[in-house]
Order: sequence, then structure tokens, then C-alpha cells
Amino acid sequence: MTDILRSWIGSALPDWLIVLIAYLIVTTIVLFYAVGNFILMVWAERRIVARMQDRLGPNRVGPAGLLQPIADAVKMFTKEDIVPRNADRWVHLLAPVVSLAPVAMMLAVIPWGRGWEPIDLNVALLYIVAVSAVSGVGLMMAGWGSNNKFALLGAMRAVAQLVSYEIPAVTALLTVVVLAGGMSLLNLPHLQAGVPIMGATILCNDPAGCSPLLYTTITSFPGSPNEPVQALDLGLGWWVFTPVGLLGFVVFFIAALAEGERTPFDIPEADSEIVAGYMTEYSGMKFATFYIAQYILNFALAALAATAFLGGWQGPGVAALANMGGPWVHAAAALSAFYLLAKIWILFFVMIWLRGAFPRLRVDQLMDFAWKLLLPLALVNILSASLMVSITQWTGAQWSGVVNLDGFASWQRQLIAVIVTAIINIAATYWILSINQRPAEQEWDEELVVAP
Amino acid sequence: MITETEPETTETQTTRGKVYVIDRGRPKLRAGQGLLTGLDVVFRHFRDALTRKLEKPSQQTGVFTVQYPEERLKLPEAFRNFPILLYDDETGHELCTSCFQCQRICPPQVIHMTQARDPATGKAVPAVAEFLIEYDACMSCGLCAEVCPFDAIKMDHEFEFSTDVHGGLTINKAGLNRPISYYEKIAPTFWAEVKDGAMKKLQGNMKRRPDLIGVAPQMIDTIKAKRAEVAVAQAPAPAPSAPDSAPTDKAARLAAIRAKAAAKEADAQPAPSDDSAPTDKAARLAAIRAANAARKDEAANVAQTSDTTSDDKAARLAAIRAANAAKKAAAEGAPASASAAPPAHTAPTSDTPPAASSTPDDKAARLAAIRAANAAKKAAAEGAPASASAAPAAHAAPTSDTPPAASSTPDDKAARLAAIRAANAAKKAAAQKQDGNDDQ
Repeated sequence: MTDILRSWIGSALPDWLIVLIAYLIVTTIVLFYAVGNFILMVWAERRIVARMQDRLGPNRVGPAGLLQPIADAVKMFTKEDIVPRNADRWVHLLAPVVSLAPVAMMLAVIPWGRGWEPIDLNVALLYIVAVSAVSGVGLMMAGWGSNNKFALLGAMRAVAQLVSYEIPAVTALLTVVVLAGGMSLLNLPHLQAGVPIMGATILCNDPAGCSPLLYTTITSFPGSPNEPVQALDLGLGWWVFTPVGLLGFVVFFIAALAEGERTPFDIPEADSEIVAGYMTEYSGMKFATFYIAQYILNFALAALAATAFLGGWQGPGVAALANMGGPWVHAAAALSAFYLLAKIWILFFVMIWLRGAFPRLRVDQLMDFAWKLLLPLALVNILSASLMVSITQWTGAQWSGVVNLDGFASWQRQLIAVIVTAIINIAATYWILSINQRPAEQEWDEELVVAP
Repeated sequence: MITETEPETTETQTTRGKVYVIDRGRPKLRAGQGLLTGLDVVFRHFRDALTRKLEKPSQQTGVFTVQYPEERLKLPEAFRNFPILLYDDETGHELCTSCFQCQRICPPQVIHMTQARDPATGKAVPAVAEFLIEYDACMSCGLCAEVCPFDAIKMDHEFEFSTDVHGGLTINKAGLNRPISYYEKIAPTFWAEVKDGAMKKLQGNMKRRPDLIGVAPQMIDTIKAKRAEVAVAQAPAPAPSAPDSAPTDKAARLAAIRAKAAAKEADAQPAPSDDSAPTDKAARLAAIRAANAARKDEAANVAQTSDTTSDDKAARLAAIRAANAAKKAAAEGAPASASAAPPAHTAPTSDTPPAASSTPDDKAARLAAIRAANAAKKAAAEGAPASASAAPAAHAAPTSDTPPAASSTPDDKAARLAAIRAANAAKKAAAQKQDGNDDQ
């Protein structure tokens, strides 16, 4: 965007102003994109959950009820803004802002399409993890500032849940960091080119005979000594197709559900138990701000999950269009943006699906699930990811003579890595699941037992 | 106490009772199979809800929603909301006989009715004059429909009565009346069960209702028009068969045409809901005209009935009685009250044309008719102002009993009844004339 503006009005304005305007435009676009998706998501969630429950859902406002979110928004705007008399006014006011702002900031680093990233941050993953944790502060402010028992209970639960699930989520993302050799989100889709399971390891033997529609030039993992190679690229080398990526994805997605307070982890809201949790004392646009924050958080987490494990904007045809060069690059960008959006919406559909199917967990079940199941799985997955990287990329010198895989082709090494990590992950998953479901030792109080 | 090693149920006696521990063996690994099954169920619901509706209860998936104002469920026959009154489609006769059973049983006491009275005699007849149900206080118990011996009151399926006019929920007879066909449509099997009994009872009751009493208000005009049509249809028929009665026919035809015109006039008027038979001016006018026409042709009519051979005793008797009554009326005749006439006149509207077309052969009947005519003439001669009303009263009887005599059903009870009624009406008219005299 900056470059485009420079070429248009570079002579008329100072450079810093151009950069400022460019980023303002980009920010506006991204926020509108997210809010537009939010509106559709509200509508889609109500309609889809309705169908799952054999209902129709809102279908009166506009065609198929599409204008329902608009009607809701009008309602929200016209509602009275109520602040409880004993509430801490400023904390009460700032809480929705504090919870929405970090969520919106998460959108800055996600690559929305091929070459469409607002900011290229080389610590994007760290940034996302750090920023998303801030929204917990907003929830706590809401609960505390409302001076309401239910709100405080909800806030406590929310913070406990967020803190607990940050750990498996971050650990699962660590797998990605290990695989990618860096924290930049921008590189992730590029690294997930190729074909399922094998990734970009099926190389072109004869550079002249390889069609640019099927083969593309892949720069190998950062830190790898390998030269750029021509590899078969269908845009399907998503990490979710490998054992490491699959386990990481499952763990991260479950943790993301908990972070986004989606059913079955909607304990902080739990409207059947504690009214609406930390949102109890909110009405009108403040409530709507929380609502938007929650949906955009889900949107951003789905985008992150898609980018980290489902190949991001990667998909069949993108590389081929990009290789054709010229104006086709823009078509490739548009197609890639569509792919990412489709993946986000599929993940969002799964969220709705889970909401339609499962009841809410108890708090102790929630904690058990995070600490006894997800975290061990994520830790094992880091081990697998490390093995994967070392098997596919390390030279004999790096192995320091333990194993020497230098003689194998890259697809052979990938295959070995997949098999090894699959064995490790399956065994670990089986073991962790079985120790988790072993019944507790039944102990009778000896004094109560009567001799027969 | 270790129980895990034993394969079957073990029992432990504690101070709080026995504890049973069941060893279920090594469980299968639970890795979310149950969750996936649940997801599968939900997805099937989602998929089917997109494509079809839930139509029968055995179906498990599909959209359950009925979008009410546009879509409606078929109500079961036994559905009941508020009571309605039934009337016969063809004759317009209400099934209600004003027996007050529903009013008595109604728990919230929201049913109110007035029994109809014969305006001529003042006696109660088995029909209802006005019927009110306060829908707003009705509790839809259906006891009125259950208790009704004539199947006249039934529970309707209509349930959309939301209104901001409270008083509008007190419904009168015109608002409660529904044709039997309507009830048959909403509850076919229920009506089929009681149909025969109800119709039989209705036929019995109709005989005890003079003229248009007990006819659904909204049907009165229709019924009148229909009767006039029947009159027209029957009037020209005898013209070729009895060429010798031409003058009679002409007069009768004229009467019928006049009656029809009057009926049309009545139809043309927008009939208000409170319009009832006795107050219908146009109808009364038609009746008077028809009666006058009948009187005009009566002499000829009677004279030409020389070649017939029927001998209905009852009809003769009735005719004689009518003649006597007419004589008495003529003797007492004086200024007559106008109100006495119409009830007596209504019968001729339908009866005169057949009378004209027929060839009454009964001598006694003839004689009675002649006497009646004479009496009427006398009455006309005596009371100049009273003649218009008194004479028709006298004529009503002979004209109404001649048709049965001619219709070759000597034992027709209805005909006899009609004759008796006519006689009674004439008597009544005489009595009222007497009253009028007393008043003066």
C-alpha cells in the first residue's frame, strides 16, 4: 500500500505522511473486513445453530434474515447505557475497550492473502500470544468494576480459563515455531506449499521439463543449507496433514475454543448459572463492544489456526497463478484470500457445530482437560516437531554422528520423519488418554466396613 | 477392601448399608468417540433441516418450526375453543330449540338465551329468539356441546379472537350461527356420528315453529326468495293441463309475480342483522298482496272445482273450522288491528298458486271455502276500515288448506297442521279484533 501511494502522490507529500496514510487505509480495510465478517458470523451462527436444533432461526429481517444483525445493532444503539450506582465508573467504561483493542490488534499480523499482510512482524506469533492475553485484563476489569457477584464470578472464571488455556495454546503454537524455524506468520503459508503429507519435498529432476503450473521454486526452511529447489506444489502441503501438525492443530483449536469462550468452554458467561458472567451489568453499546470483541477474537483465532496449521492462504491454484506472472499475481492474491476466508469459515462452522452438540463443561473438568490432557499432548508434540525438523533438515554434522541421513533424498527423509512422529504421537496420545480415564482408586473407610 | 480383582459384583457391608461394586472389565479407550457420535447426530439434524420439514412424529429430523400466520397446523377434530350454533344449510332452520340445557350447565355462566314466541299466539315455540355467549369469559370446557340434546351447539376451531374491544367478544345469535356444512368440514366424523339423530329432531321441531321463527337471521331473506321462486315455478304449470281455469290461473300467476317482486324488493334492501320475520315490511307487503290476489280469484277457484273426487276428512274439518273462525271474526269484525293480519297472511304467499292450479273436489271443503269467502265478504261489507285486514285473515284459512286437498295426499299431517294453524291464526285475529274493540 505504501508503495502504491508513493507512486501516486509521492511527490506531493512528505514520506512520513504517506506511510501514515497508507497504514490508516490498511487498518481501515482490515477492521472493516473483520467487522463485516463479524456481522455475517452473528447471522450465520444463529441460522446454523437453529438448523441444528430443527429450527429456522431469524428469517424475517431482509432476505433470509440477513439484515438481522443490522436490526440488532440499531437496538443496541438505542438501548439505555446503564452503570450500576456502586460500580467503578471508569473501570466499567474502559473494560469493553480494553477487551476489544487487543483483539483488533491481533488482526494486524495475519497474512490475509498472498502478499496481503498488514504488517510483517518477525515475532508475529509472540505478538499475538502476548496481545491476546491482554483481553483477559479487560474481562477482569469488567467483572471487578461492575460490583456484581455474578460479574465477578464470571470474570474469575474467565481469567482462570484464559490463563489455563494460554499454556496449551502457546505450546501448540511452539510446534509451528519449531517447524518454521521462526515466529513470523508471513512465512507460514509459504512453508506449507507442496502436496499433502510430503510437503514440498517432491523435487523436479529436470528443471527444463517441469511445468510452472505444477512446480514452483521453494526456498527451504530458514537455516537450512539447501539451495532453493523446484518442488511439486499443489498448495496442499498443510501441516495438518502431518502427525505433528494434526496433533498441534487439535490441541490449538480446542484451546482456541476455550480462549474464545465458545461452547463447551463458555463457562465465564454460563448464562444458565451466573446470568451473563462479566457482561451482566453491561447494556447497549458497551455490551455490543464485548460481543464484537468476542466474535472478532474467534475470527482472529480461526484465522491464526488456519494460518498456522491449515496452510493459511495456501491452496490449489494459487502457486500456479502466481507463477504465470503479470496481472495473474493479483488473481493469485484474490484466490489466496478466498482460501483463507473459506478456511476461517469452515473452522467457524465447526465452532458452531460444537456449540450445537455439546453441553458446557464444569470448571474442574475444564481444568482437568487443559492440564491433564492438552498440555501433555502439546509437550509431546514439541518433541515430535523437533524430531521432524531434525530428521528432515539436519546434516550428519548436526546429528554429531548419531544418525547420518545425508544420503537420503528429501522425500525419503520426510517419509521417515512422518512415520517416526506418527508412532510417537499415536503412542503418546493413547497413553495419555488411558491414564486419564483410569478410575480413581476406591478406598473404603475401614471403620465403616462391617465384618460379614 | 480390594474389589477390582474379582470379575463379578462384590458386596461390602458397611454401617450405612451394602455397597455393590461391579467390575465391568477393561474399558475401551475413550478418545472422543462419544463426542464424535454426538457431532454426527447434530450434523444429520443440520443437514435434514436444510432440506425438509418435520412432517410426522416418527420422523426425527427436519425443521420443526411452523411459521404460524403463514403456515398452520391442521387442527384435530376434537380441538375446541368457543361454542357456535348450527343451522341447516337448506332450510336455514336452527337446530337450537331453546331448551336451556347449555345455559344451565355452563360453569362460568356465559350463555344467555331468550326463547322465541309465536307472535300470533304468544306461546313459546321450540326456537331461540336471541342467543348470547360471552367469549371473553368462556373457559372452552365444551360442556355446552356435550349436554346439548339437539346437537345444536358445537365447539368451533376458530381461535384468533384477539381484540382491543372487550365488548366485541360478546357474540349474538347472528354471530354464532354457522351452517352445518361448516361443522361437517371441521369435524366430519363427529358430525357423522350424530347427523341422523340431529336432523330427525330438527324435522320434528320445525313443525312446531310457525313461519320463519327459528330460521337463522342471515338466512331469512334467502329462504323467502327461495319460497317465492318455488311459487313461481309451480304457478304456470297447470295452465295447459287445466285450460278451463284460465281466469283463476291468471289471478294466481299475478299473485305469484307480485309476491316475487315483493321478495326481490326485500332482497334488494340491505338486510340489517336485527331484521326479523315479523318486522320485515317488504315481506309483509308481499304477503298482503298475495292474499288479496288470492281473495280476488277465490270465487272462481271454488266454482271450478266441481269435477273432482277427493275426500280428505281432516282437510274438510280444518276448512270448516277455518270458515267458522272467519265467520266469527266477521261477526265481531270492526276496526281491526293491523298487526293481526300479517301472520295469517304469510301462508298464502306460498300456498295460493298451488291452490289456483289445483282442482279441489271435496264438496265439504268447497262448501267451507265458500262459507269462508262469504264470511269474509260480509266482514268486508261490515267494517269498512277493518276490511283490509279482517278479510285476508278469513281467507288465509281456506287458501292454505285447499292445496293439500288437491295434492292427492289425503293423510298428509303437515297439511292438516297447516290448516289447523291457519284456523288458529284466524281465531287469534278475531280475538285481537275483539281486544281492539275493547280498547276503543
